[in-house]
Amino acid sequence: MKRTKASLRKKSAGKVKVKAAAGKKAAAPKAAAKKAASVDPITIEIVGNGLRSIADETFIALMKSAYSTNIKERKDHSTAICDASGRLIAQAEASLPVHIASMTGLMKHLLADYAGKINKGDIFIANDPHVAGGTHLPDINMAIPVFHEDKLVAFMCNIAHHADVGGMFPGSMAGGMAEIYQEGLRVPVIKLFSKGELNDDILKLILLNVRVPQERRGDYFAQVAACRLGERRLVELFEAYQTGPMLKIFDEIVHRTRKRMQAAIERIPDGTYTFEDVMDDDGLGTTNIPVKVHIEVRGSAIKVDFKGTARQVKGNINTTLNATQAAVCYTLKSLLDPEIPNNQGMLDAVELVAESGTLVSSVFPAPVAARANTCQRIVDVVVGALASALPLVAVGAANGANTTAVFAGIDPRSGQSYVYLETLGGGFGGRASKDGTDGVQVHITNTSNLPVEAIETEYPLLVESYSLVEDSGGAGKFRGGMGLRRVIRPIGHDCTFNGALERAVNRPWGIFGGGPGAVGRFMLIGPSDETLLAAKPSGVTVTAGEKLMIESPGAGGYGNASERSAELVEQDRSSGKFSATFLAQNYPAMVQLPKAS
Amino acid sequence: MTWLVGVDVGGTFTDFFAYETGSRQVRLFKTPSTPKNPASAIADGLLALCKEFDISPSDIERVSHGTTVATNALIQRRGGTVAVITTKGFRDLLEIGRQTRPHLYSFQQDQPAPLAPRNRRFEIAERITAGPAIIEPIDQASLEKAIEDVKQSGVEACAVCLLFSFLDGSHERAVGEALSKVDGLSVSLSSEVQPEFREYERFSTAVLNAYLQPVMHRYLTFLEDRLRADAPGAKVGIYQSSGGLMSIDTARKFPVRTALSGPAAGAVGAVYMSRLSSEPDVITVDVGGTSADVALIRNYEAGISFNRDVAGFPVRLPMVDIHTVGAGGGSIAWFDRDGLLKVGPTSAGADPGPACYRRGGTNATVTDANLATGRLSAKGLIGGRMPLDIEASRNVLAPIAEKLNFSIERAALGILDIVSANMVRAIRTISVERGHDPRNYCLLPFGGAGPLHATEIARSLGISKILVPAAPGILCAQGLIASDMKDDFVRSARMRLDDAGMATIGDLAADVMIDAAKWFDSESIEPHQRRISLSLDVRYVGQNFELPVHAVSGPGGKLPVIPKAKEIRRRFLDIHTQFYGFCSETDPIELVNLRLTASAKITDLTGTSKAKTSTQKPKPIARRPVWFSADGPVDTPIYDRATFLAGQKIVGPAIIDQFDSTTVLHPRDVLTVDSALNLSIRLSK
Repeated sequence: MKRTKASLRKKSAGKVKVKAAAGKKAAAPKAAAKKAASVDPITIEIVGNGLRSIADETFIALMKSAYSTNIKERKDHSTAICDASGRLIAQAEASLPVHIASMTGLMKHLLADYAGKINKGDIFIANDPHVAGGTHLPDINMAIPVFHEDKLVAFMCNIAHHADVGGMFPGSMAGGMAEIYQEGLRVPVIKLFSKGELNDDILKLILLNVRVPQERRGDYFAQVAACRLGERRLVELFEAYQTGPMLKIFDEIVHRTRKRMQAAIERIPDGTYTFEDVMDDDGLGTTNIPVKVHIEVRGSAIKVDFKGTARQVKGNINTTLNATQAAVCYTLKSLLDPEIPNNQGMLDAVELVAESGTLVSSVFPAPVAARANTCQRIVDVVVGALASALPLVAVGAANGANTTAVFAGIDPRSGQSYVYLETLGGGFGGRASKDGTDGVQVHITNTSNLPVEAIETEYPLLVESYSLVEDSGGAGKFRGGMGLRRVIRPIGHDCTFNGALERAVNRPWGIFGGGPGAVGRFMLIGPSDETLLAAKPSGVTVTAGEKLMIESPGAGGYGNASERSAELVEQDRSSGKFSATFLAQNYPAMVQLPKAS
Repeated sequence: MTWLVGVDVGGTFTDFFAYETGSRQVRLFKTPSTPKNPASAIADGLLALCKEFDISPSDIERVSHGTTVATNALIQRRGGTVAVITTKGFRDLLEIGRQTRPHLYSFQQDQPAPLAPRNRRFEIAERITAGPAIIEPIDQASLEKAIEDVKQSGVEACAVCLLFSFLDGSHERAVGEALSKVDGLSVSLSSEVQPEFREYERFSTAVLNAYLQPVMHRYLTFLEDRLRADAPGAKVGIYQSSGGLMSIDTARKFPVRTALSGPAAGAVGAVYMSRLSSEPDVITVDVGGTSADVALIRNYEAGISFNRDVAGFPVRLPMVDIHTVGAGGGSIAWFDRDGLLKVGPTSAGADPGPACYRRGGTNATVTDANLATGRLSAKGLIGGRMPLDIEASRNVLAPIAEKLNFSIERAALGILDIVSANMVRAIRTISVERGHDPRNYCLLPFGGAGPLHATEIARSLGISKILVPAAPGILCAQGLIASDMKDDFVRSARMRLDDAGMATIGDLAADVMIDAAKWFDSESIEPHQRRISLSLDVRYVGQNFELPVHAVSGPGGKLPVIPKAKEIRRRFLDIHTQFYGFCSETDPIELVNLRLTASAKITDLTGTSKAKTSTQKPKPIARRPVWFSADGPVDTPIYDRATFLAGQKIVGPAIIDQFDSTTVLHPRDVLTVDSALNLSIRLSK
């Protein structure tokens, strides 16, 4: 059953193309599928299971052997399998959407730059958003070609967010960086290994340019090991099923997912949907930056057009086109069919239009470190646009930020420099049948927090509190989720704080009459005074006597506050999550403040 | 006469395995479970067992019990009311957890709501940080206020969850002391339940423990009272998730340790069987109606994991490393939106069950596929009271076959292939993902449906040998008899593993040995039964995940000499290479936890009486066509396993029916009945 020799017909859909005209291509693969020999749905399911298993195994291997806290505790990494033409075939279950965009981006450049020069044992490395398909520099991409019977059949890829990649500020994520050069070391698609041999010169060059190089070295090798593990497993799978059927199965997986995505799109009523929101600021003086979307749905075709969105900005909240694509596809998948497999077929079913040089399709030398904040806004506007068409699955605006906090300094105990990076979750929007989640990573990111005991063990820092922010969830029939607060102070030394925050001015909106959530903020708290910091502060000194308070935004509610049930209002009160004043203001029919004495 | 009794409480039946130590007689007994109070089926069943086999209850020396009370209380959220006392500034920590969503792409799925709601989580001013260093002593006023709040809230249990208590438990103990004055309140200190690094997981474990305390207390008290009256000589051992028995008192204090008691007992039963058949390295797959549990046994020891979710909450405790997947006899076959056939995790369960049960099931299940391919007998299991309706199976399989453009049998084979692939994926998680090559293992299937699927699973993993235990359906109860008494102790301490560090480890080990000695004494364990095993959780400095490195073990309850730093390092490098495929010769390594396991062999089951042997071919009881591949049916002999004698051999195809299970022997595979009456199957190349 397994050994069927099927002749592979290369399909035209094999190219990685962000701007894919969904309707046009559907016919060709169907014809190909009909002619195919017996790669039946059962074999496809079993091999698909094997592919996901390989992606998951490498995901865990990378997590467990890495050194960056981001990777080992927060799981800010992804693994995936691409075919020889660079199409995404399978990914680890816990992979992050924006990472997947980077991997497909890498494949496009890798194949263009190295056609005919890809050898067994090569390992490619890259991170640059403008010439190597990346989405920001700290995400280090690696890919190993997989050969079976001397034929290039696939790539095993992984990507990990390193705690530092050099540049102006520790952590390489701070606001206030005005061009890509300031954000860290740019790596085009190059070979870290050639035919199994380490190109030591390259590694030396990279390590010289990043902070805490001995730890980073461990991260690079954890990625290399994950590549090789995946390569070994893929070869085993190709041995078992043979190249012909395997490649046919790759085609089938992509084709079926695309059909499935198109069927999901068909459930959206035909029409044009628009929405507009703004980013607060770029950290370098540009404020209220428009993000605009027009969505056209016609049958199984969808066109998501960002016309009217701002030009790219000086500050580092720009996104590359593939990051935008990741955010759009994430949103459509979540709204329409959360269980749809993540592969090229899903990406190809969506036509994306964004003019080069805009905020959502930025080009060299745009800085992009904090692109996740803009991706979150892209999710919000797509949800906002489709809310009227999909009222049961639409949600209020989430905290809309990838609230990033980086503490750096010299550990007085060891004399060594340290970098502690964290991204905080916040509120998730109110939903059609329940409140939004409090204090959680939303949408395109789902990274864990670092345990307080890990922070205090590894860094000379003390966490004074970690809590939900009172009154931060927008009121509504179903309220928005609450933001998070962390208060941190350096012990026995002065440290530097860098951060990035969004929705510090423009509150996360509610839908269908729901109220907005609270804004987020960074506060420097001294013994006698408090200072509100900029939303994208860089190089702030926190002295030994001071502490830094981070508050992430809440989220918008769903439906009119007047429709909220007495039971839920009582829960808001008795849990202490909302103050009497807030409740009286928002639910006056149910809660009155006691008269001032 | 001295009888040992193992009792395993399942969803439908409570199984008894009784063993007489002098004559080595075995008695098996089943009685319907009593889910409302599982202890009554145990107590009543025990009396019925005695009556049936003429055993004097006073001759029962030990009752070993695997319990699902804790598991069910968690799944059904029927635990006690819980309050929490925590460090000031961290009241929300238990609710925030790791700030993640359970499903990246779902706007609707949430983590489960905390078992202690926010208005029952109280803060006290105190603080310990890394070092450990007390930077703020307990503020007595805030403590008194918190105790008063706990009292006012009227809860049954309280968890004490303070930061860095894994390094210094003095603050938690002080709070515990103050709480002990509250009448009728159960108290769980995170530093006692499991004193380990990472606050959320530690707190969560403590809260689960507190949540289970009231339920478990009532259950164990009832059981203890009944057994004291009915079988006054019997000592009771409660099976814990890490393998091994604990006393009723320990179970009362730490009920969370029983959260995976049932499946863990199966793994120990498998260890027992693998010993009898001299198969040290075994992968087990326990297939029931809704799910399959898989575990890996290496050198007769079940793998242990320290971090897993139970009912949606993280539990940080040593537990037999069991991976569960929603693949069982009742798993339903369905088409996904991309036209691919899937099987499970939704299950038809026992009611309505598969279509062939004729209880109104309308979905095609794995059992229907087994019936339609001739692998299961339409007469049902031997001794079973329920015939199976093959036409009903064919009727529900027909639409699937039509959609695939397959024959019904080929569609059924596809369903079996997919459900096997799901189990294979689970096995990969506990084998290849932990650095073990399954090809070096023997597959041990059990549970009613395990031996039906073993061959497909083994072939996909490159396994060449299968061992089907004598009674696959009661392996858990049998495992309970074979279990040791056991307790696990841990000390979290971060230090470099060099010669200086090893000196400190000696001190730590000596310290933890004091606890172990206390435990041996409290359980009245004789010196010759005592056994100590010491292992170290080690990692490279800068990594966050540790690997367990076995340090030393030995008998007699005394700590043997701990190897030198160089030797520990060598072992760590080997394990790191095994798990991750690489290691650094030069990077420094450090200790994170020191774990000591104290155990006591209480039953010697070696040298079980020799079974009758024969070299004659067994005689089939029937023949029928069976589908092993899509090529077509094969005329296949059917055997009754009860007639098998040690030494007998058959070459497949064959179907072997028995009281509680069916074994499928594929064409050309060779089956031998071994001296323990286990079926040893060699797969053809």
